[in-house]
Amino acid sequence: MPIRQKVFFLTIAVMLLLVILELVRRRRLRVEYSWLWLASGMTIVLLILRYDLLLWLTDLVGAVIPTSTLFFFCILYLALLSLNYSVRLSALTRQVKELAQEVALLRADHEEDRTRA
Amino acid sequence: MSGPRPVLVVIPCWNEARNLGEVVRGLRAARGGDDIVVVDDGSTDGTAAVARELGCRVVELPLHLGYGAAVQAGVKYGLRRRHAAVVTFDGDGQHDPADIAPLLAAVADGADLALGSRFLADGSYRGGLDRRVGRALFSVLSRALTGLALTDPTSGLKALGARGQALFALARFPDRFPDADALVLARRSRLVVAERPAHMRPSLNRASMHGGTRAVTYTFNMLMSLLVAALGREADLRG
Repeated sequence: MPIRQKVFFLTIAVMLLLVILELVRRRRLRVEYSWLWLASGMTIVLLILRYDLLLWLTDLVGAVIPTSTLFFFCILYLALLSLNYSVRLSALTRQVKELAQEVALLRADHEEDRTRA
Repeated sequence: MSGPRPVLVVIPCWNEARNLGEVVRGLRAARGGDDIVVVDDGSTDGTAAVARELGCRVVELPLHLGYGAAVQAGVKYGLRRRHAAVVTFDGDGQHDPADIAPLLAAVADGADLALGSRFLADGSYRGGLDRRVGRALFSVLSRALTGLALTDPTSGLKALGARGQALFALARFPDRFPDADALVLARRSRLVVAERPAHMRPSLNRASMHGGTRAVTYTFNMLMSLLVAALGREADLRG
């Protein structure tokens, strides 16, 4: 990989890592979700510094050029990420439903107490 | 009635302000001793205010959650007040209060879940071709999955005994389309399910429930939901 490319991509990767850390520091990103993003940033750095790893991976999966290996794993990663979000959304939907029901039931209790008093 | 509390009739409503008065008056005329709770599923037409004016107990959901979740909220209300039996009764005027007594009798005879079937009644309600095909499909599927020969698994008129109420209050209870999949769950948790005739009137609210383009998504969701109910783990049934 030419040195110009290396410097460019490393800069981007380091900036990404800094943004993630800053988001965690400001409590904008929950700590338990940050590991995934940190791991993603580290992987980018690793692949820039050790291009031979990408070549090895390309050989392993039987791809012809390293670019397709990279794209394939990027897309796979994004697909898994959205699946993960769907799972979280489903959990949130259930939690919202239960909270809404609980609020309505407590309000009904409250109203009935007040009419009785 | 056996048990510490009378029967609770749960009326799930979404924008039924115009029909609710007639439904509640019909219920009171036919079944004076029952408690009525109206679950307002995030209506925007003042359904909750109408229910309060009518003197009903009201569970007012702050958001529109969908039919199943509204029914579930009503059942949870009943469970907390230890009602011996809970009846679910649609707010659009299509159910007949006279059909409640046979359902409660079935519960008293040991059923955990009694369904009102429009196909067991004389002068049978039919509906359009698409609805009949859909219903036949779910009927065959739920029969294959539960071994129950139910004629009307999508019925909204139900009576629930103690175990039926517990099933409806489960966290994993299907809260969008609690029809045939709810029956699969009921069967898998070894509940006793019964069916009694019910006379359906045309809904006062034409746009209600499974109409129009929603039929396709409804069918898909229902099939998925059935599959999930059938494939779920036994342990999940505990909630």
